Amino acid sequence: MKSAEVRQEEQLRFAEYMRAVAEQRDKRAFEKLFDHFVPLLRSFSLAAQPGASLLADEVAQEVMIKVWQKAHTYNKEMANVTTWIFTLARNSRIDYLRKNSRHESDIDPTNLWGEIVDENSDPFQAAQQKRSEELISKQLKGLPEDQQNALRKVYLEGKTHKQVAEELKLPLGTVKSRVRLALRKLAISIPR
Amino acid sequence: MLKHHPSSELLADYASGSMPLSHSLCIATHLEQCDICRQQAHKLNQLGAQFFMQQSSTATSADNDLKAKVMGCLDEIVFSTDESASDTPKRTAASNKVDSYKPPKALKQFLDDSYDSLEWTTVSPSFKITTLLKDKNGAQIALSRVKPGGKMPHHRHTADELTVVLEGSFSDEGGIYKKGDFICRDSKHKHKPVVTKDAECICLMVLDAPIEFTGWFTRVLNPLVRRNHAQS
Repeated sequence: MKSAEVRQEEQLRFAEYMRAVAEQRDKRAFEKLFDHFVPLLRSFSLAAQPGASLLADEVAQEVMIKVWQKAHTYNKEMANVTTWIFTLARNSRIDYLRKNSRHESDIDPTNLWGEIVDENSDPFQAAQQKRSEELISKQLKGLPEDQQNALRKVYLEGKTHKQVAEELKLPLGTVKSRVRLALRKLAISIPR
Repeated sequence: MLKHHPSSELLADYASGSMPLSHSLCIATHLEQCDICRQQAHKLNQLGAQFFMQQSSTATSADNDLKAKVMGCLDEIVFSTDESASDTPKRTAASNKVDSYKPPKALKQFLDDSYDSLEWTTVSPSFKITTLLKDKNGAQIALSRVKPGGKMPHHRHTADELTVVLEGSFSDEGGIYKKGDFICRDSKHKHKPVVTKDAECICLMVLDAPIEFTGWFTRVLNPLVRRNHAQS
């Protein structure tokens, strides 16, 4: 596992590549992003659809083309590059899944997940987002493995709590409380 | 400030894209009104990114093929210009809009700029309903519109129901719900919502489970169906 400093440097480098793509349409910088993210994008697709390597190719290609097209809308104050690309990947996957059996639906997802754009960034928010990023990455390591595992299945495999419960042969309530406890420790819960 | 929010688990299902799109529609509608939940959703994206980057991944030869393909077409791809330009609402002075409501962006697929453009079914003098979509997974997406002080027909939920208040406010045994509030009721719940007297109330409602929902829906429409029969 990479240390926090190494990861931060990596993110700064990615942000530089993004800038080069946005301002100079720098293909070398784009290639660097491609080399880092395409294997991750492929794993992400295969986690939800094991064996579907053509689909994995399509999603990876679509996301990387969006990176090239939308680089100028990326704002490092709003999110780091990995978070930005994760949301692009998630959105692509949702669109592909709704067109086949898993989440078959006539609902157009375009308006449901806003892309992270520079809409209301202010210095306070930028600082806050950086803090929460650090907190989440630090606290995540301290979570019990069963809680991490439940979240990982939800995020990477795109499973509902019910599907996770069935797969792990656990009561639904157990899975829900693992997710709930984990989110609370990561300070992602709504004050009531 | 809004008082009724989706739980953090629901927000996580939204951020991960693991919930049905019908539910995501309700969450997205709530997020448009709720800063707090938008911030939570952003944190949940950051969490997703953590899992995303922790994945084991090895470059394969397929990556090189894909790279050649993508790099080869970059020059033909134009930078997408600001989407909001093509996205500008079609709201013009000529629009024959009577209400001053601004429907949420999340519902853009179903209505452009006015709730009046929809075909409403009058269920009772104070209660109208319109179905936006019966989705492939059986979910039913509907809007309800109740006059000030009006009651919604008593109903027992036979499946989970998500409600987001789009305009006005209503109350039931659980409290008062205002514009933007998000309510999730399970099938055990029986409630008697009443709209506050100051304004009409429009809600987005999403119900799961087709067969059970039909039961609920016919019960709502029963009075209407009976009346129509009596007239014929």
